[in-house]
Amino acid sequence: MKAYGIILFFLTGLILVSCKKLDEMNIDPNGIDPSIANPSQLLTTVITRSGTTVTELGFGQISGVMQQTQEDGWSGGYNDFGWQSSSHDGTWKSLYQNLSDSKEMMRKANEANNDFFRAASLIMTAYNFGHIADFWGDAPYSEALRNDDGIMNPKYDAQFNIYKGILDDLEQANALLSKAPGSYNTINNGQDVLYSGDITKWRRFANSLSIRYNLRLSAKDQSFARDNITRILGAPDKYPLITAAADEAAFAYTGNNPSSSWPTNIVGNTDLSSEYHRRKMCSTLVEEMRKHNDPRLGVWANKVETPLHLDESKPENYDNIEDVVFNIEGVSATIKCRVIGKGVADAYVQKYGVPVNYNLDYIGMPPNWTKLSLFAYNISPATYQGRPNPHCSMLNSMYQLALAPQLKSRMLSAAEVHFDLAEIALKGWGGNAKMEYENAIRTSLESWGLTSNYTMYLVQPGVPFDNTLEQIITQKWIASWSATCEAWFDWRRTGFPNFKTVGVGAKRDVIPVRLYYPANEETANADKLRQALPNLEETMYSQQEPDNATYPVMKRNSAWAKMWLLQGTGKPW
Amino acid sequence: MKITAFVILISIMQVSANVPAQKVTINKTNVPLKVILDEIRKQSGYDFIFDANLFKHLEPVTVNLKEVTVENALDNCLKDQPLTYTIDDKFVIIKAKNTTYSRVTVKDISVTGKVVDENNKAIPGVIVKIQDAQTAAVTGSDGTYHIVVPGENKVLVFSFLGYQQQSVVVGNSAVIDVVLKEQYNKLNEVVVTALGIKREEKSLGYSVGKIDGKDLVRVPQENVLNGITGKVSGVTINQTGPTGSSVSMVIRGGTSLAGDNQPLFVIDGVPVSSTLNNVVQVGSGNPVDYGNAISDLNPEDIESMTILKGPSAAALYGSRAGAGVVVITTKSGKKNQGFRVDLSTNTVFDIPYKFYEKQNLFAPGTRPITPDDVLPGTVLDLPANVTTGMGIPLDKGYYATQWRRPEYANDPLVPTPVVGHPDNFKNFVNTGLTSTNSISLSNGNEQMNYRVGVTNMTNQGIIPGTDLNRNNFTAAGQFRSGKNFTFSTNINYTQSWANNRPAGNRGTNVLQYVIQMPNNIDIREFEKYWVPGKEGQEVVRLYDGADNPYFLAHEVKNAFRRDRVYGNIKAEYQILPKLSAMVRMSMDNFFERQETKIPQGYSGEPNNGAYGLGNTTNYERNTDFLIKWNDQIKGFTYTISAGGNEMYTKATDISNSSIPGRGLISANVFTINNIAPQNLLFSSAWSQKAIQSLYAFANLGWKDRVFLDLTARNDWSSTLPKNNRSYFYPSASLSLLLDKMVDLGPKVSQVKLRGGVAQVGNDTSPYQLLSTYDALDPWGTATRYAKSGTMRVPNLKPEQETSVEFGTDLGFFQNRLTFEGTFFNVNNRNQIVQNQPIPSSSGYSSTNLNMGLVQSRGWEFTVGGTPIKSDNWNWTLNINMTRTRVTLKELAPGITRLPIWNEASAGSASWVNVGEQIGNIYSPQMVRVTDPTSPYYGYPILDANGHWTSISREVANHKTGNFNPDFIMGANSLLSYKNFSLNLTLDWRFGGQFFSDTERRLRNNGVSKRAYEKEAIDAGGRTGKALSDWLKANSGLFTSDDVIRFVGGPTQGMGGYHAADGIAWDGSFAPGVIPQRDASGKITGYIEHLGEGAETKWGIFRQYDTSWNFPQVSILPADFVKLREASLTYNLPKKLLEKIRVKGMSISVFTRNIMLWTKAKVNIDPERAYVTTTEGDGRRGIQMRQGMEEFNIEPWVMPVGAKLNVTF
Repeated sequence: MKAYGIILFFLTGLILVSCKKLDEMNIDPNGIDPSIANPSQLLTTVITRSGTTVTELGFGQISGVMQQTQEDGWSGGYNDFGWQSSSHDGTWKSLYQNLSDSKEMMRKANEANNDFFRAASLIMTAYNFGHIADFWGDAPYSEALRNDDGIMNPKYDAQFNIYKGILDDLEQANALLSKAPGSYNTINNGQDVLYSGDITKWRRFANSLSIRYNLRLSAKDQSFARDNITRILGAPDKYPLITAAADEAAFAYTGNNPSSSWPTNIVGNTDLSSEYHRRKMCSTLVEEMRKHNDPRLGVWANKVETPLHLDESKPENYDNIEDVVFNIEGVSATIKCRVIGKGVADAYVQKYGVPVNYNLDYIGMPPNWTKLSLFAYNISPATYQGRPNPHCSMLNSMYQLALAPQLKSRMLSAAEVHFDLAEIALKGWGGNAKMEYENAIRTSLESWGLTSNYTMYLVQPGVPFDNTLEQIITQKWIASWSATCEAWFDWRRTGFPNFKTVGVGAKRDVIPVRLYYPANEETANADKLRQALPNLEETMYSQQEPDNATYPVMKRNSAWAKMWLLQGTGKPW
Repeated sequence: MKITAFVILISIMQVSANVPAQKVTINKTNVPLKVILDEIRKQSGYDFIFDANLFKHLEPVTVNLKEVTVENALDNCLKDQPLTYTIDDKFVIIKAKNTTYSRVTVKDISVTGKVVDENNKAIPGVIVKIQDAQTAAVTGSDGTYHIVVPGENKVLVFSFLGYQQQSVVVGNSAVIDVVLKEQYNKLNEVVVTALGIKREEKSLGYSVGKIDGKDLVRVPQENVLNGITGKVSGVTINQTGPTGSSVSMVIRGGTSLAGDNQPLFVIDGVPVSSTLNNVVQVGSGNPVDYGNAISDLNPEDIESMTILKGPSAAALYGSRAGAGVVVITTKSGKKNQGFRVDLSTNTVFDIPYKFYEKQNLFAPGTRPITPDDVLPGTVLDLPANVTTGMGIPLDKGYYATQWRRPEYANDPLVPTPVVGHPDNFKNFVNTGLTSTNSISLSNGNEQMNYRVGVTNMTNQGIIPGTDLNRNNFTAAGQFRSGKNFTFSTNINYTQSWANNRPAGNRGTNVLQYVIQMPNNIDIREFEKYWVPGKEGQEVVRLYDGADNPYFLAHEVKNAFRRDRVYGNIKAEYQILPKLSAMVRMSMDNFFERQETKIPQGYSGEPNNGAYGLGNTTNYERNTDFLIKWNDQIKGFTYTISAGGNEMYTKATDISNSSIPGRGLISANVFTINNIAPQNLLFSSAWSQKAIQSLYAFANLGWKDRVFLDLTARNDWSSTLPKNNRSYFYPSASLSLLLDKMVDLGPKVSQVKLRGGVAQVGNDTSPYQLLSTYDALDPWGTATRYAKSGTMRVPNLKPEQETSVEFGTDLGFFQNRLTFEGTFFNVNNRNQIVQNQPIPSSSGYSSTNLNMGLVQSRGWEFTVGGTPIKSDNWNWTLNINMTRTRVTLKELAPGITRLPIWNEASAGSASWVNVGEQIGNIYSPQMVRVTDPTSPYYGYPILDANGHWTSISREVANHKTGNFNPDFIMGANSLLSYKNFSLNLTLDWRFGGQFFSDTERRLRNNGVSKRAYEKEAIDAGGRTGKALSDWLKANSGLFTSDDVIRFVGGPTQGMGGYHAADGIAWDGSFAPGVIPQRDASGKITGYIEHLGEGAETKWGIFRQYDTSWNFPQVSILPADFVKLREASLTYNLPKKLLEKIRVKGMSISVFTRNIMLWTKAKVNIDPERAYVTTTEGDGRRGIQMRQGMEEFNIEPWVMPVGAKLNVTF
């Protein structure tokens, strides 16, 4: 009977063990319970991720497309528009993730009945949806972000409806922020990395975005844009705008971990083929700025390490680094140069079909000039992709840091608003074009720490206002450094700056006008995407997309197909 | 550790040397005779066998003996007793004197009898022979015989083909009936099935695989799973990397979309999960596979292994049994076996003999230039930082300025001969060495038995600097208390550790740099990897930023140590003769610590190196009970059981390391304190889960010919929502023995039909029901929380796997020929898929949801036979074949595709579309003329620059391979002659493909031998119209799908053209057509690009570059044949062993895993088509990308091993 007792003892033990509650066991000890979080902890996420998503492109691939920079290694997607649907999967995903976080912030704001976070959510939602419409055209909007309601495959909304929706949101945000600034509960101003809880600045941001998107629509639906713009400009008290550099929507990278570090930093990477090293200045921007003696060039780029110097008195194959004395504006200067004979220069020209550049200060790579050996540009001794080139301007050394005062995500600048106002004035919708043009240049210089250079710059050749849209947009393009997405959108709608040089490396003869719908949608939301694709207008360039025997409509998903915004405008090509 | 093993060996020898003392000394007064005999036993080492009743009425005795032999001692003390003795082997048998017969003179005895089999069927033709005599008789048709035996104590030997020989001592009886047992009757073997229940195989309605422990250790393997390869049908084993890497075991095709399809291992009742997910990465590009848990098991400790292939067999193990169960029974002491010591030692040398081969015609460089191609007087230069391409021809007597030649010269501009070094790979690797020593002690009697064992394994890898070590300690014991109570326990402790495990993938993977070493440089120049005078600071490199393979091998250290304890305690009580109860508690607990040290000198960690420390623990406890009732009524036998189980598991993980690339504060200080706070990567997580279960089952049998099994189980899981938490699943299986019902004649030994249907439910991992916020890295001081990108479904349902199987087991000619065949179909539906990508526009980029129906369907065949069987010769042969197809039948609405893996930089991906088979590999599709009526049908459509164009693989859904084989076949042969036996195991995988990223990268680098041999079309130097006509006539060379070939070659002699820039004769171009378009861009016609027009002839290296986007050229056939095992064993004869007092001894030489043939012929092992990664993309948490290989190119080896087994 003793054994019976032992068995009973075991069975009792088993039952005791089982009493542990199965429910309690499945409470996640590792994640953060949403109910204990507050909306300010989401706000930082939404601001920083929205800003960095756009900056990654604006300082990256689109900067290549907009001929401000070029890359000399693995450059197909950068210089040559070698995109496909998988290229911008990440951008699409990030923008919708930001929207999802923004929506969650709205939920928490409603829970707390907090107008500040409601408004911030509306503004950030507009910012992200704006970019989605800008990059792709039609996109999921009204049914987007509603998986919790059972909509896993959202339909695509017309591009115009998205713009209209975000303009409504911005109007509502402005209204929500119109109470006395001190009456808002911002919870923790340190979380607001954009404005530290300054209500007025958020209001300026909302209205400046309105200006941006109305202007975007101006070529397509002139009366809609004009009515909105004149309403905003007609009530400056009700609709304050970003007009000073101190108010612009920009935040600095903090560099305290990889995700808060400037994208081209080389902290932890001395590989000479890093993003920083393979990225070079583009000749289009360099030459435009050299024309005007633009002081910003020195902030953005490094001078060439070793200028080339042609000495025809030397033997044909002469090639040596030595000091050369130059007479620069009457002053004698000794500069260490690579001195070459004529034969060396001729051999290079014959092989690559571009001239040797002997500038002593800044030199940019020509845009998409060849697919072969870009790293050999300007007789570079580099023998591998993406290495430093002593005969071409690298980006300013600060761009290899994780953080620096000027390393900011620039979401919307005062200069942009002033350029917009100049353009609006030029359209005759009110305002003073010259004044706004000059304010734009002034605030841009201020923004880059060059306030004192303003007077000097304004008298440089080609800078004084000549009353043309081309000049406004060209200056706006220069000012868009590190935020070139906006320049791309301006170029699309105006054709300015008039980029002519498109080298042999480019996938098509012209610059693309949109991003490909992402692979994620092609596979996971194929039915809804195929319904939207016919809304894209085929062009002779989009026709060159490979024929897809299974789904012919997929061919329309081209970077050279025109979205609604460009259809019938004759722009940019 | 080798010294330790040696010491143990010596001490055992001494123990056994003490045993066989020949002389005994006894000095006892008035003691029972038993005491005297016991004394003789102790001194002599002989074991005594007797009936205790014999001693019952004997008087005490007095014995005085000094230094006498055993025989003398026995004679002396038995002389006045009614007892006598015989000595047989080492046993002294005491028996009663039979005075009646002992004094009778020898007389003939007439013996008759009948010989029957176990079914009481008469066996005609049995030879009945008198031992050591010439007389014999044969049984008649009724099985009877008659033989005259000359006197008693003679032995009759009964023998018949296919039956076990039997000997009977002829006493004074005249009738001796004998039941002969079948010799080769595997169908009647007892197998260990679910819950450790032993069953006769004939009663099972489903197919099981079983392996005897001795078949697992005949050829030693570090991971016990490797010993299964080729031996069991329906099972696919893949060793994913070098020794110590995870070994994948998949039974009947993987049907789970959520997991890695590894079976559940149950070791003596202790469930042990073994996943492929033990890849840890510290630093950049340093993913290391620390091996799966099952590698902790010591093959020497295994008594038997049963593979329960489908849910039918595994239904009782519950949720985790969906991928099959491997039931492992370890060795234990045997009842009444006596004290026994087993020693085993073996050593294997892995001699590398076949290597991935590169082209050895050109040094690196963009163009294959010769001195004739450059300006006279120019010195050819081969810059050290140019490591790719086809440059100056090797071994042609050309001179160039090169890296470090002449050796250590200060002036690098001295030109030296450009010479190839094709043996770099060979010169780099070592001969691997694995040594295993084990000892076990066991004993057993009526009351208790035990076994304790120790095993040590050490391995030095083929890659210099790598190692692996393991110590196993095991103790098992069983104790009986009273008549009905049994208490048993089994405790195992394993230490596994290594000072340096090799990394996979790209980064610190040594093989990457070995194979990419420019072939004009002798790799041995890097062997002394510190710059003289700067030891520990500066590494000898090809150029700044290049890595030194010797440095990586010896200095980048990925160490680990895993301590694992598992075991159980079990109590059994036979309450009534027909009723028994069992209670058991088992536990598996491991603690693993990984430590990575990367010193300054690795290009990926330029900031003083990197350091990281990770701790993982896992605890699982199972408590179960089982109550069993068995009985029989008339012809029926039945067993009804009911039981329950509670499983509780808890896992913790803590890791601290430097952020990849960000490095340490100072070099060579390996502690977390040496990581600056902003560069510290840290995490911690823990999780727990419980499943409670109740189950019942019945085994019914009718007259030993019909067997029916029924099971039912209900689980309650903590991971599912309350309403769906409870799930029930039943199974039924039937076995019919036709041979017992119908007389099928003497040639047919067995005909069994079987069939079963079963379900298994499954839950999910913990915490899948509700979303939490993710904490992102802070922005400065601001906190950042984000909504999870993964949608959680709060009402998840349990998974449901339903399997059906039918089969037959046949035996002929006394089962000398056997056949097993099984058809199975598994439907796995309602799976809980985690991280399924969904449109991110929906607000989530992935979701967890119930979906899918995956069907695995296949055949398994096993043919076994004993073609030769005689006194001296015995040959058994066993061939098995498996064919499995796993198809995705359904997914959720709106979801049509399920990703498996996606290797962005490799351009290939694996996913599965509804209706397709799992394992497909996809690549971009080349755009070709698709109109069959066009004269250019199939021609590539080129862009304006004459380059190939493509549609993305996602949109084109362009399948270019499948990593699953069409079928696999294994063959085992065991041939024995007297004391020699020769064992062979072969493994053939037919069909399937794998993607070699090694081949793709080296091809793109211009150094792949295969690429220049197979991809360039040599048009024989034709030009102009002759060329285009020739190409049109031979358009098959470039028009079929996935053939991406260009026209040209590296030199004029190899089909090259004068390149456009006139530098060298390596010009080449893509044959195809360029579309003509109208103003709107529509194609109106084609311009030929076939060498007649304005084709730009690019250097050949450029062609490899432009085809980078077509990875299908590196998708290779995966077919191979391997010699898995070969061993020759010699068992030393008993007579010899007796002299040295050893019970058994065998010596064997063996080899293993020799690649005999591959279809791909690139010297890459298709079995190793796995990439280790820490990203669990696609199917979450699967860290082994199957079907792709990335510098997983250890050379093929020729192992040579020897093994010695001794039993005392």
